[in-house]
Amino acid sequence: MIEIRNLYKRFGDLEVLKGIDLNVSSGEVTVIMGPSGSGKSTLLRCINRLEEITSGAVIVDGYDVMDPATNINFIRTEAGMVFQQFNLFPHMTALGNVTLGPTKVRKMNRAEAEALGRELLDKVGLRDKADVYPDHLSGGQKQRVAIARSLALKPKVMLFDEPTSALDPELVGEVLEVMKQLGREGMTMVVVTHEMGFAREVADRVIFMDEGVIIEENTPAEIFSNPRHERTQGFLSKVI
Amino acid sequence: MGSGFDFKVSVMWESVPLLLTGMKLTILITVMGLLVGFILGTVFGLMKISRSLFMRKLGGFYVESIRGTPLMVQVMFIYFGLPLAIGMRVPPMLAGVAAIGVNSGAYIAEIVRGAFQSIERGQTEAGRSIGLTHLQTLYYVIWPQALKRMIPALGNQFIISLKDTSLLVVVGVGELTRTGQEIIAGNFRAFEVWLTVAIMYFAMTMSIAKVLNILERKLEI
Ligand SMILES: Nc1ncnc2c1ncn2[C@@H]1O[C@H](COP(=O)(O)OP(=O)(O)OP(=O)(O)O)[C@@H](O)[C@H]1O
Ligand SMILES: [Mg+2]
Repeated sequence: MIEIRNLYKRFGDLEVLKGIDLNVSSGEVTVIMGPSGSGKSTLLRCINRLEEITSGAVIVDGYDVMDPATNINFIRTEAGMVFQQFNLFPHMTALGNVTLGPTKVRKMNRAEAEALGRELLDKVGLRDKADVYPDHLSGGQKQRVAIARSLALKPKVMLFDEPTSALDPELVGEVLEVMKQLGREGMTMVVVTHEMGFAREVADRVIFMDEGVIIEENTPAEIFSNPRHERTQGFLSKVI
Repeated sequence: MGSGFDFKVSVMWESVPLLLTGMKLTILITVMGLLVGFILGTVFGLMKISRSLFMRKLGGFYVESIRGTPLMVQVMFIYFGLPLAIGMRVPPMLAGVAAIGVNSGAYIAEIVRGAFQSIERGQTEAGRSIGLTHLQTLYYVIWPQALKRMIPALGNQFIISLKDTSLLVVVGVGELTRTGQEIIAGNFRAFEVWLTVAIMYFAMTMSIAKVLNILERKLEI
């Protein structure tokens, strides 16, 4: 589903990703962990080309994202993204946020899009919040709307960039619950998070990154109980 | 010999009907000029944040050259200068609207630029990440939010441009100031007439400020 080969990313003089190789197959849930500044967000953002890669290749569902012949807007509907800061559109209701993509990108008619939107809001447990503006939603509710907004394009992959780190602790659970459900339904997911419980429960694989390279990857059970690399050990001992 | 000055309220009242027709024209020119200014301001404001250096330079040239020259000179240029170059008279009304439009456009361009730049980057990223094109993101996501943030500054520009129309007196379009001047030419009552003219301008600017206030409260800006 996602194939990353020898990916390098530089911001000016700063080399942020230094030769990343990663394959994510269909239905797989991959969790990425690592210290701040290790390049996790950048890696995720290279997948849907919010960042231009410096060298290497990123292939999503068979399409090379840097190939000029690839329609990047199409790739972005294939790979939905959920942000740490939610980034909901404040001038639209929850339903408006969810239906914007289907109506403008998928050219769905309004009735169809609204039916889909309500179905997805129901799925994330927010059926009764359809007509509410983001300002009147809690952080957890905002993030669930943001997930529904991405799902509305029927993506094949979902990318999550620390979806719960801006939330009050008591709101983390409701968002993770929605994500777990997605994982169980077979959605391919790449999730940057430090939520060990989530990783244990749904991840097929945990990747540990540091300073722009993948240091270690393994099943969650293996990596948490038996980290091989000392930087992984150091990091995990701080997080737990 | 006394000072010869005796204030007559009746003169003020008598001048009102004529001044009202001037006031109507003032409002008309302001509104049409600002419409032009809004379009110019949006186009050039977006140019100033374009990814193309050429566009940014072009936008910058317009804004700086207008903001760096007096409105009076711009009016003179459009009404007296331009006709020589294009070989035909510019009707006073058109010259007036053009001058207010071109002038306010430069200031509105800065308002537009500032408002767009004040919208968080995450909004653009969220728009692009659901597959919207760059233009769709600008139109559906950024523009509505930017417009709301522009309202106070646009209202302020409305007031400025309204007062600026008094400079059009040199063009001879019969707006409020010109009408006052013409009345005085007939009755020599400068004190009463200019006072009335001032009150009328003040009534207009105060009303705009009031409406703006209500609007801002309603939209919670
Ligand atoms: N647009 C940018 N321009 C310049 N430098 C950037 C840019 N984006 C990220 N960086 C730098 O790249 C490095 C990696 O950033 P990135 O956001 O990918 O890290 P991260 O692993 O997601 O960290 P965090 O856990 O804090 O989110 C950091 O040093 C950051 O300052
Ligand atoms: Mg990050």
